[in-house]
Amino acid sequence: MLLIEADGKALLAEHGVAVPEGVLVTDTQVELPGIGPWMVKAQVPVGGRGKLGGVVRCSSPADVAAAVGRLLGARLKGHQVEACLIEQVITGEERYLAIMVDAASYGLRVIYSRQGGVDIEQSGAAHGRLCAAHPGAAKEALAELTANEPDAWRGPIAAVGRKLANMLIERELALAEINPLFVSASGCVAGDAKLVVDLGAVERQPRIAAMIAARPAIYADANRKLLEGFDYVDLDPAGEIGLVTTGAGLSMMLIDELTARGSKPLNFCDIRTSQMRGSPARLMRVLEWITARPSLRAVLVNIFAGITDLAEFAGLLAAAMEQTPGLRVPVVARLVGRGAADALRILAERQPGMMVTEDLDEALGRIDAIVSSSSWPGLARPSTPSRGADGRDEVGT
Amino acid sequence: MIGTLSRSTPVIVQGITGRMGRTHAALMRAYGTNIVGGTSTRTEATEAAGVPVFATCRDAVLATGAVASVAMAPPLETLVAVEEALAAGIRLIVTVAEGVPLHDAVKIGRAVRRAGATWIGASSPGLAIPGELKLGFLPDVCLRPGPLAIMSKSGTLSYEVGYRLAHEGLGQSIWVGVGGDSVKGLRFADLLPVFLADDRTHGIVLVGEVGGSEEEECADALVRLGVCKPLYALIAGREAKEGVSMGHAGALVFGEAGSFASKTRRLKAAGARVFSSIEALVQACVQDFAALRS
Repeated sequence: MLLIEADGKALLAEHGVAVPEGVLVTDTQVELPGIGPWMVKAQVPVGGRGKLGGVVRCSSPADVAAAVGRLLGARLKGHQVEACLIEQVITGEERYLAIMVDAASYGLRVIYSRQGGVDIEQSGAAHGRLCAAHPGAAKEALAELTANEPDAWRGPIAAVGRKLANMLIERELALAEINPLFVSASGCVAGDAKLVVDLGAVERQPRIAAMIAARPAIYADANRKLLEGFDYVDLDPAGEIGLVTTGAGLSMMLIDELTARGSKPLNFCDIRTSQMRGSPARLMRVLEWITARPSLRAVLVNIFAGITDLAEFAGLLAAAMEQTPGLRVPVVARLVGRGAADALRILAERQPGMMVTEDLDEALGRIDAIVSSSSWPGLARPSTPSRGADGRDEVGT
Repeated sequence: MIGTLSRSTPVIVQGITGRMGRTHAALMRAYGTNIVGGTSTRTEATEAAGVPVFATCRDAVLATGAVASVAMAPPLETLVAVEEALAAGIRLIVTVAEGVPLHDAVKIGRAVRRAGATWIGASSPGLAIPGELKLGFLPDVCLRPGPLAIMSKSGTLSYEVGYRLAHEGLGQSIWVGVGGDSVKGLRFADLLPVFLADDRTHGIVLVGEVGGSEEEECADALVRLGVCKPLYALIAGREAKEGVSMGHAGALVFGEAGSFASKTRRLKAAGARVFSSIEALVQACVQDFAALRS
């Protein structure tokens, strides 16, 4: 999970890397750092914020207030801006420095470029070296990559690299990227921070755990995962189809297929039926989150039960539905695998009128029908995309 | 090692006395896997799921001659479990825990490589040679001997694909779930030569997802090795938001890297067919392998 820049910089500073003086704001009441000019930066976990207008240079306090007012609440690449970082403008030559875990070599990749700034990934100017996963190896790799830099700069850059490598290993990060790294006669300052933390390691990384817990709105998905023990991600704020699904890959695929058919899924969900242990509590939690969304029009339950007994699951689903008074939209359940026949019988008794099927395409067809139904006035619906006569839907053909 | 696994391959289950270990050891045995024993660090039990329980992997391997292990260890204990298995001489290890720390996975990868062993995981749903054995969770309802090799990052999505194909009379030659982790054991590109060399395999189904570079590496390997068996790919996560991982730690997109567009383009350029729905992939396989349906 990508930390917002402000948290990334806090971690960098704790590991001895210089960062600009800055304040994080969540409303337009701003206490400016220093005398300006300033940078106002939207705190969302995506790259390319500058090109999207999420990074604004301001020369007056009025400009800062206007930029903050414009950015807060706006959406960048699907992420709502909950906070802005305001910093003093830093000057110097821009460089790119990153250290990341390299999956194929079971080591680290150190990347350095004399061209910092946007578009570095596409420019081909970045050079990388693979090395073993310890700071000494990263230091040697960086020394090779900076061989053409002025003598006076190599020492300070090496020092930043050493701190970055130490931080990556001590905090168990996947990626630590500084772009740009401002280099001048007075030293190196991190202009940005892109730090990817490992949620699998949070249990033994209390500093990272505290950072995530401190921002329930910005790190909503991560907080939910750590607290609840399963995955649920809010997607489209105007989403209409709530998903109660199991399996990350299958849930992702369902989101893709529903979207292609003209539906708007409102969430991703990997509910992990094997961990329910006879309690409807987890299903009730998910139904509670889904039914809290006013744009909800239908719930799609999709469970492929390899191990889970669907008869038991059906009982839990019926109980969860009975105990969720806010559930006022149709529920379509597709249950396949162990105990499916019993599950269908149980749900037919306890939730008469609910569509339960073993056939995914039948369930998706019902969702299509609900979404395109004329009983929802005032909303134009995209028609279901037509398919090839042979039923194929091959990408790009 | 994978291509030569059979019902006679001796297998141990590490953590066999836990809830998961006990359940899945029994399911694997019922399927026909030659589970010869298990280990437990927590109990004094001498028997579980009908096989002997040992205190250490070394004891288990010495007593049973096991060459493969399924490690049913919690995520933070998976590194230790793998180190123990390797030290005992295990040649193939399948790990199943979700959420093994990334830096632990790096250490596991290094240790496995040093030992010259094979690792499938970190969060593998398992592997199977239908009709012979299964290691891990792959549900029996999906397994059926047949002409298609399946490799998949996701467990459930591959269950869905494998189940529907099997329902159409197209079973599997080899099925390997590599897991949704970014740092892992065998990768798609490592499996390609195994599938190409396997006489039972007539076609390859790749169930990928956004994030990482495995699909792109596999496309490169396809070009390098020459396309002599058709490859059908399904990539989940086209609608994934940049910077948000959905469930799998490895499914994280930044800019172009790891995107649906990048994977689709590279695989198609390498001669693979890429589908945007499960049903489309299933129908293409049904059409192309009509003569091999059973």
